[in-house]
Amino acid sequence: MKTFLIPAAVLVLCTASASAWAAPGTVLRNDKLYSQPSASSRVAGSVTKGTSVNILAKQGGWLRVTAGKSTGWVRLLSVRAGAGGLGGAGLGDVVGAATTKSDPSRVVAVAGLRGLNDEYLKQAKFNADERARLDALNVTATQVRNFASQSGLAAVNVPDLPKPQPAQTSSPWENN
Amino acid sequence: MKIKLMVLAISLASVSGVAAGFDFGKLLEERINQELNKDKQTTPAPATNQTPAAPQSAAAPPPPAKQKIDARQLGFALFGDYSPEEENRIGRQISGNLLGAVPLVRDDKLHRYVNLVGNWVALQSGRKDVTWRFGVLDTEDINAFAAPGGYIFVTKGLYRRLNNEAELAGVLAHEIAHVTKKHHLKVLKQSSLIGALGQAAGSKTKDSDPVVQNLIGNGAEIMARGLDKNAEFEADRVGVVFAARAGYGPWGLPGVLQDLAGLPAKDSRTGLLYKTHPHPADRLAALGEAVDGHLDAVQGKDLASRFYRIR
Repeated sequence: MKTFLIPAAVLVLCTASASAWAAPGTVLRNDKLYSQPSASSRVAGSVTKGTSVNILAKQGGWLRVTAGKSTGWVRLLSVRAGAGGLGGAGLGDVVGAATTKSDPSRVVAVAGLRGLNDEYLKQAKFNADERARLDALNVTATQVRNFASQSGLAAVNVPDLPKPQPAQTSSPWENN
Repeated sequence: MKIKLMVLAISLASVSGVAAGFDFGKLLEERINQELNKDKQTTPAPATNQTPAAPQSAAAPPPPAKQKIDARQLGFALFGDYSPEEENRIGRQISGNLLGAVPLVRDDKLHRYVNLVGNWVALQSGRKDVTWRFGVLDTEDINAFAAPGGYIFVTKGLYRRLNNEAELAGVLAHEIAHVTKKHHLKVLKQSSLIGALGQAAGSKTKDSDPVVQNLIGNGAEIMARGLDKNAEFEADRVGVVFAARAGYGPWGLPGVLQDLAGLPAKDSRTGLLYKTHPHPADRLAALGEAVDGHLDAVQGKDLASRFYRIR
């Protein structure tokens, strides 16, 4: 990790820009590296599951990454950001703790005032006033359609995604 | 406990002839597993200053073996569904309790904006028998919730991390998918033989509904229990499509998951999120398998300039 990336990454975080990262990441599935953020562009290489990459930029459904000697664009969903490795493998804590300085998101790691937890939610009492406030948040169908068309949003025909194979490895994360 | 289960098994099996052809064994197995897990998860009551008069303390459903299993209940368990009215009653109670834990952010413009975005996305969901409500909860915790009947919440902590309207649409679409797929209702149905809720005495009032409270357990704990991880993967898959159908770029929700994946694992603000959801990396991986190149041709808007920034 080059040292100049650290202040740069912190700066990026502060301005909440998603377009220019410099963050560690891990490849989640074998995929191709393209020369441009498009599957019809030239293939510049490939990445294999588990490989560490450096994320340089994000554009739509694509991430520009450096993996070893090659740099190129990979599908956004084929890489995870962060220092936690494959995640489901339970490496998150260990790796994350060891890379405090290079993980820009750590800068904002502050304790919540009163976190939402089991006990807190269990003891929650019905709040009729807040409920009434929620019910008052009604918008009409016309208002909704006007809101959409104001910025050029229109309904698009997008087919359902296929259901994946049921086999999913269980994640120890859920026991955290 | 074992004896009770046996009684339950026998009493259920004795009626199984009626439901010939239906996978009764599986239902029974699930039901028994539920009971076993319930036992395992039973934690000693906290030694806090809880008043014994708390209405929730009597909320635990009676042991199933003692519960009379009549034909109506059995029919509900096998083939039934909550009516839209019942679904709304359940959602009202859950959301009222959740709002008892965390109030809404005091920002009318924010709520108007979120309701416009949310309702536009919900229009693409295909469910027309739901009146959708979207609220921003005043907590730095990073999370989002859905309750049956179309009650959707996103926390201020999560909202602050969003960069554009497409990301908000993606988060809301994930929660909308929980409602359209009736994920929570399925959990309630599995965990209880309480079928029809009976006369909706409380449905018109603004107060707590004891019948529904009995069904959902203590307070808003149903929101802390979470769903099966496959329900979360499904909501990601369906949510991405809802957002894309609304004309947004489909990478809003994946972008938020990437952001969460970059947070340190021990961040206290994500404690409940990670207890109730698979790790963002697992969600990205599962979503990646489903999406692959299917959305390559989808051109959508991100609308960063219109995005309402929270104060």
